[in-house]
Amino acid sequence: MQRLSVTARLNRSTLQFEEAAYARLAGYLDEAALTLAGNPDQAEILADLEQAIADKCHGRMATGPATVTLAELEPVLEEIGSVQVPGGAQAEPQPTRPTTRPLQQVSEGALISGVCQGIARYFGLDVTLLRVIAVLLLFVSGGGMIVVYLALMLLLPFAPRQPGSEPIRTIPARSRQFAGFVRSKFGAATS
Amino acid sequence: MTTESKLAPIRKGLLEFLVLKIVGARSVYVPDILRRLAGTEFATQEGTLYPLLSKLRREDLVQYEWQESDAGPPRKYYRLTEAGQAQLAALDEYWTRINRTVSDIGT
Repeated sequence: MQRLSVTARLNRSTLQFEEAAYARLAGYLDEAALTLAGNPDQAEILADLEQAIADKCHGRMATGPATVTLAELEPVLEEIGSVQVPGGAQAEPQPTRPTTRPLQQVSEGALISGVCQGIARYFGLDVTLLRVIAVLLLFVSGGGMIVVYLALMLLLPFAPRQPGSEPIRTIPARSRQFAGFVRSKFGAATS
Repeated sequence: MTTESKLAPIRKGLLEFLVLKIVGARSVYVPDILRRLAGTEFATQEGTLYPLLSKLRREDLVQYEWQESDAGPPRKYYRLTEAGQAQLAALDEYWTRINRTVSDIGT
């Protein structure tokens, strides 16, 4: 019976793998790729790892061209270890936002009540953009926007204050003063 | 919480510093770095080291160049950039300082 084997090109080296060994190798590389997802150097790190695997396999098979068996591959992968992303304190920011994020008002740094900030955080948008849209809607809707805003203000729960978290956007002092002025003119109802 | 689970993050945090030290001493390729750390508390593996080196390169602290080898394909030799040398000096100085604090406090 003929032993099934696969030829694999690992970075700059070509090797013969027994089918089981090849499946194991593909599994390792898939997992590594998954761990490195979003890393700008993903392809380069994978190439480095492939080369390291190839070098170690060559080192283990002293006698010319042969097929790498699962038994030969396992210790190689053991030696290289699973891919660990450098983490610790300065972990790179995760672009993905948590899937279950409640829609809430964010009162820290709010201009009125924090509805725009809450919506901006929920959809991952720029607060200023949302505020501009809100003000435009205010004019277009002929006052309907006020009702919508007031409803959201009353209905949306407040996000818990997080002392460690940075505000979504720091409001320049001047617009803070302006907001204070508006509030003092138009009563405390909106503050 | 076991002692080991408190020690692991300390080692993890210091690994980057040690890699900078090793790369700072002379131009090395990955097996050199692994050999230097093997047998120490900081023994590590390719799976950890390659992603770390690529992060350091993105931060412009190390750079590499390809060098031909007698056996097998060309190898990446890493060395520190100027920014890397500056950061290593800063880390070294900081390490000396906190070491002193740690040994002075509580005695």
